[in-house]
Amino acid sequence: MTDHASNSAFEILPTHPQENYIELHAASAFSFLESSSAPESYIERAVELNMPAMALADRNGLYGVARFHISGNLNEVKAHIGAEIAVSSFGERLTPPAHLPNQCPHEPPRIVLLCKSQTGYQNLSQLITRFKMREATKAEGAATFEDLKEFSEGLICLTGGEEGPLASSLANDGESAATRQLDRLISIYGHNNIYIELQRHRERQQESRNVSLLSLATKLRLPIVATNGVQCATPQDRELLDIFTSIRNHTTIHEAGRLVSRNCLRHLRSSREMQEIFRDLPEAVANTRIISERLEFTLNNLGYEFPCYPVPDGETMDSFLAKRVDEGIRKRFSPALKRPLLERALQQSQRELALIAQLGFAGYFLIVWDIIRYCQENGFLVQGRGSAANSVVCYALEITAVDPIGMELLFERFLSESRGEWPDIDLDLPSGDHREKVIQHIYEKYGALGAAMTANVITYRGRSAAREVGKALGFDEQQLSKISSLVGHWEWRGANDTMDRHFDNAGFDVRHPRVAKYLELCSKIADLPRHLGQHSGGMVICGGMLNRIVPIERASMPGRTVVQWDKEDCADLGLIKVDLLGLGMMAVLKDSLELIPKHYNHQVDLSALPQDPLVYKTLRNADTVGMFQVESRAQMASLPHNAPACFYDVVVQVAIIRPGPIVGKMMHPYMRRRQGIEEVSYAHPLLEPVLKRTLGVPLFQEQLLRMAMVVANFSGSEAEELRRAVGMRRSMQRMRNLEGRLRAGMTSNGIGQTEQDTIVQAISSFAMYGFPESHAASFALIAYASAYLKVYYLAAFLCGLLNNQPMGFYAPAVLIKDAQRHGLKVRPMCIHRSESVCTIEHEADGSLSVRIGLNYAKGVRQSTAEALTAIRSSDGPFQTIDDLSLRVPELSRKDLVMLAQIGALNSISQVQHRRDALWQVEQAGRPVGPLLRASSSASTTDKLPLRKMTTDERLSADYSGTGLTCGPHPIAYHRVHLRSRGFRSAEDLAHCENNTWVRIAGCVIARQRPGTAKGFVFLSMEDETGIANIIITPDLFEQDRVVITRNRFLDIEGLLQLQRGVIHVKAKNIRPIDITSADMRSHDFH
Amino acid sequence: MKPDPLYAAIHVSEFPAQSILRLRPDLQSIAVVILAGSPPQERVCALNAHARKRGVVAGMTRLEVEELGSIHIHSQSAETESAARLVLLETLSQFSPRIEEVFVSNACSFILDIAGSERLFGPSDQFAQRLRDAIASTGFRASIAISANFHTSRIRSEFFRGISVIPAARESIALASTPISALNLHPDQYETFALWGIATLGELAALPEEQMITRFGQPSRLWLALARGSADHTFQPLEEKLELKEHIEFETHIEQLDALLFIGANMIGNLVARASCRALSLASIHIEMSLERSLLYKRLIQPAIPSEDRKFLLKLLQLELAAHPPQAAVISLTLTADAGRQSKIQLGLFAPQAPEPSRLDVTLARLKAMVGSDRVGSPALLDSHCPGHFQMRDFSVVNQPRRTPQSNSTCTSLRRIRPPRLLYIQIDEGKPRIFRDGTTRFEVSVAYGPWWSSGCWWDVDRWDLEEWDVMATTSAGDSISCLLVHDHLNGKWLLDAYYD
Repeated sequence: MTDHASNSAFEILPTHPQENYIELHAASAFSFLESSSAPESYIERAVELNMPAMALADRNGLYGVARFHISGNLNEVKAHIGAEIAVSSFGERLTPPAHLPNQCPHEPPRIVLLCKSQTGYQNLSQLITRFKMREATKAEGAATFEDLKEFSEGLICLTGGEEGPLASSLANDGESAATRQLDRLISIYGHNNIYIELQRHRERQQESRNVSLLSLATKLRLPIVATNGVQCATPQDRELLDIFTSIRNHTTIHEAGRLVSRNCLRHLRSSREMQEIFRDLPEAVANTRIISERLEFTLNNLGYEFPCYPVPDGETMDSFLAKRVDEGIRKRFSPALKRPLLERALQQSQRELALIAQLGFAGYFLIVWDIIRYCQENGFLVQGRGSAANSVVCYALEITAVDPIGMELLFERFLSESRGEWPDIDLDLPSGDHREKVIQHIYEKYGALGAAMTANVITYRGRSAAREVGKALGFDEQQLSKISSLVGHWEWRGANDTMDRHFDNAGFDVRHPRVAKYLELCSKIADLPRHLGQHSGGMVICGGMLNRIVPIERASMPGRTVVQWDKEDCADLGLIKVDLLGLGMMAVLKDSLELIPKHYNHQVDLSALPQDPLVYKTLRNADTVGMFQVESRAQMASLPHNAPACFYDVVVQVAIIRPGPIVGKMMHPYMRRRQGIEEVSYAHPLLEPVLKRTLGVPLFQEQLLRMAMVVANFSGSEAEELRRAVGMRRSMQRMRNLEGRLRAGMTSNGIGQTEQDTIVQAISSFAMYGFPESHAASFALIAYASAYLKVYYLAAFLCGLLNNQPMGFYAPAVLIKDAQRHGLKVRPMCIHRSESVCTIEHEADGSLSVRIGLNYAKGVRQSTAEALTAIRSSDGPFQTIDDLSLRVPELSRKDLVMLAQIGALNSISQVQHRRDALWQVEQAGRPVGPLLRASSSASTTDKLPLRKMTTDERLSADYSGTGLTCGPHPIAYHRVHLRSRGFRSAEDLAHCENNTWVRIAGCVIARQRPGTAKGFVFLSMEDETGIANIIITPDLFEQDRVVITRNRFLDIEGLLQLQRGVIHVKAKNIRPIDITSADMRSHDFH
Repeated sequence: MKPDPLYAAIHVSEFPAQSILRLRPDLQSIAVVILAGSPPQERVCALNAHARKRGVVAGMTRLEVEELGSIHIHSQSAETESAARLVLLETLSQFSPRIEEVFVSNACSFILDIAGSERLFGPSDQFAQRLRDAIASTGFRASIAISANFHTSRIRSEFFRGISVIPAARESIALASTPISALNLHPDQYETFALWGIATLGELAALPEEQMITRFGQPSRLWLALARGSADHTFQPLEEKLELKEHIEFETHIEQLDALLFIGANMIGNLVARASCRALSLASIHIEMSLERSLLYKRLIQPAIPSEDRKFLLKLLQLELAAHPPQAAVISLTLTADAGRQSKIQLGLFAPQAPEPSRLDVTLARLKAMVGSDRVGSPALLDSHCPGHFQMRDFSVVNQPRRTPQSNSTCTSLRRIRPPRLLYIQIDEGKPRIFRDGTTRFEVSVAYGPWWSSGCWWDVDRWDLEEWDVMATTSAGDSISCLLVHDHLNGKWLLDAYYD
């Protein structure tokens, strides 16, 4: 036995020979571009190799450990947690000798740290957070010896492979330097927690290093350990690894040289293989097993606690919460209309509070309440959405606006004993400043290390995969752009929507080996992580220090930090989050509420909007462009059928036009019953009270719960358990048990076998897709508010919509045309009248109009627009373009050209038309020299050198400069000609009979290919009179795919279909039509 | 009296296609496209009218063209285009000795100075017709424009098909409808003109000059002059190419090298003398010989720097012929030289003494004669994991600091065997045990490895090699240390190098 083998740590445990080797140094694709396999792939491969445990060590992070752990648990592979940590104090990592041509980046060496215990994990997490947060912006960062020392407890250190400090020390300064590095590590981690790592990838230099490492191990009496420095799960993944290396180094694979791997031995290798390779050093393999035994920690033992809410002395969180809820209920139910419900609300709150106390969630509710209070104190609109609206506690705390007592919502859908997971409260805030202020408030309140945004792992998708792989393989930019543009994002994918078809369309020959390889790599790279972003609104808050639970790092956005796990990872590991979602419509409501008192002399209280017949009539007419949730093409098509007449109808309307009810075949039965075509019936009379509101058709998840409670005597929590079991289809056994209980309950209630089958069938088919009634109710409140504002305060509402783009289904150009059809005047941008955002103006006749703001001039910065308006209001109007250019130096030549082009400078007295402005702009700020001054001044009185823009040129300038026009719709200029050729307008269609052959022309404003429509494509085509709806069959779409997807204006012939006021044209012939060269954009879904 | 200026512009569009189609009448009635670039990134660079009618546009990929069906695809040929250009030039030179070439992408354009040619060829319209007929007889279709203004004729021929004869003082009218893309402007300037609604040269010409200058500076004066057909031009005729060529046919076929060199010496002397008259040297000499049995002999002599030293050049010729003797009796000998600038070498007082270039050339030529020309030069390592991956670069003496001396410790050196020797090998427990190189049997005493490298998996140059460092002995007791390579892709074992 060698000297180093005499160390006690070398005792070889009696194990099965095949399981002797445990891989302790593997990087996953979460080492971003340094590995080509997902954490789950390693677990799958470990199972295949019969490896009972494995460690994941990603570069400077714990990004992939949650997925690794979950997959390990499912497959009974022990998932050891670790990370490769860059340490700047070691100097630089090994690079090839200078006499070789090479292009290695300079990076610090990395050691591997593995977590023995919870303390070790917490230290590793804090260590990563420490050096990541030391950076001013999002960056890799590196630890120092001091950092390592501070967070050393509970960790085992491996010295790393060629990226480690010993490799560079041995190569540059010999064994003495390597000894010094090891002494330093021993002083930090102790003699028993350091292993000298040996790797064998069939490389001479590596073997020579191994000889030195063995000598060092003997000299310092340190144990050795074999690892494979794994970067991919299988040998075949090496190709993708090389592509990643090229992407990471911003080069092509042809020029990557020694940056790419030398051979394909960096994969997860079997115990037999590793024992064979290390036949001369059996203890190196045996020690992997020993280390694995020492690594007791798994993520099951994370140690996460939700923060406590500080309460006054003498109070507990439960008692404090109860008092706030009591106050809230009395306030909410004080109006005369609601007073009868007070008693029921108080009783319900007692029940909810008891469960909250039992589950220990009081702190969570108080924290959310605190956020709500902050918003209220600062005048920010806020509303909870999701299943929280089932809770009277949430209603009392003003987290939600839906009255669960009045609407008879079911609390168990929100919280139940059996759920086994944290409640989920999502808060909608106006997107923009207000939401940011709330986020910063939480950072302030819980500290930089107590709260952070959840991450959003950006993965490679069709377009990004095609672009980046193609670039690495050396394809030229023009071809890459072509293929990127062809990879569609339609929701429905037909047989021809495959990657090889896209390659074909882009002009790539898939039979060529290089192109075939490109295609293969594109499919392999799909769904692998590309980089870490931040989630749109999810925040994690932790009672202790969040950086002990998961590393925190800087986000790209200043002032934001993110945890290294995404939303699903946080949920899987039991971290509670609050979603602060930015909702564009909330911002529109907020803006409208500010504008209405100023321009209409009214005050509008959103919480007390009247139920208005005109609003419902507008909804029934599907005149809903711009309204929240009910503006889509599918919503418009169903609104006349469902004919909403009260608030609950809007709740149903919001819920029913969704993939769930459509796939679950709920939509049509409900609509038929609503129209009186089909009789309302119930599977059993017991279900009548439950399903009466939805005409006997189960639509909401709450109804499923109630059905189980009514027919089979389930308790609320049992019913919720049933919903979740059916919805997730996790365990067949559990499903069978629950179905047995359900049937037993129904039998005891005297329900016959046939009815039982119908009920079980209804429950199981709809549980997957049902929508929470509470969530629909929250959205319906906003939908109704938006409809009300549009009907009565169109100018304010349009202003709000225009100032909060992008949002909703329609582009600003369509919103403006819709408002104009409703009689609102929309004024073009003007250098003397426009503000930095769109504003309301008072016309001479007393009516209101909307003025397009400078925010719609493409390329003109907000700061420039603000400077312009400030100078204009302080120093008066601009006399000439020269005057404008001199007084607002922020305006670049490009800005001036843009403003001239869109006609915003036409109000300057010396400007006669847009081209005149463009002519003058070229000279603005460039005074004529003395030689030419005389001729220049003489020429100002001459005939204008440039002719006026034609109508089409003006339209083109409007759309290219602002994306919209305030003048007539482009089709309006051609109407006479079109009419003479037999074209009808969108308005004319309403006067046609069913099955009439019609021909229409219009601008495509939206193309949809919904996943639920079996390949049918829906086009919305706008002309000056309105919007026409076109249906295109899958065959016709395949035949005319290019015409349909590439052209802005179409000439369509087909049969008119008229059903209860809903008009569609079923296209038979589709041709492009030349209307204007203006760049009018369609909103294509996805 | 100096005649009034007059220019004839000839524009042959889609030149890559026309240069091929003129030789292939069978293709003239079908759609043909010419692709440039290497697979899989080939793009259409030229096409004929039939192809255009079928919807082909420049820039399409091969697959896109193939999808249109029934289109003849041809690869671009620089040689064919070059030959076609010479034919065209030769035809034009029958009409004027003063010809200027204008570079237009994808086309071949020449402008002839035809001032005073009326007596020879008749008035302009007749001239143009005769010119077009002559060009058509060589298989080209060209647009021709005649104008007293150089640029007017150039622009008109590029943008208008057929024959245009532009009377004096009518230039601006002739150009009025020409698109503004005829001017070589920056994309930003095109954008500005597009915003201004200026699409043609006529519209541009109407703009006031002073105000244009205040907006765009002096370049706009030229734009306006071009648009108005009044821009000046200094004619730069193509110069007659100096052809340094000597040719001799032998009455009796020569078999002796000495006799050949005797004649060659005179030919080199003549070439040097002709070059010297123009203060030039010989940069390279192409040797061409017709041999018996219809054989052809071609070699190239290329000294490191152009030379006018007859003896030195003759020495190079001698070495080249010695290294590559003709395989049959010589019927004729042609020496064609490329001229180069006379070279001067600046020697530094403190710079290390470098070999005299001519002597170095002779030495290198001797070495090339011995080992082959692709095996002489400076080896340069490539950035690759592939063992021994290098390329030979031309040898040159570079003044660079001397490297720090290596330590005195003995180093093992690796002596590569090229080509590697094929081995027959016996493997035992995964290691080479016995190998034969055809003559000798070696028994492996120690084997280190395998060292493994593989790469370039995306291309035809991929490799997958397993290396073994072995010590082996023969039955006679001789021992060697060597590098064995197992080439997995070809399934061969090779003796690649010795350790000395």
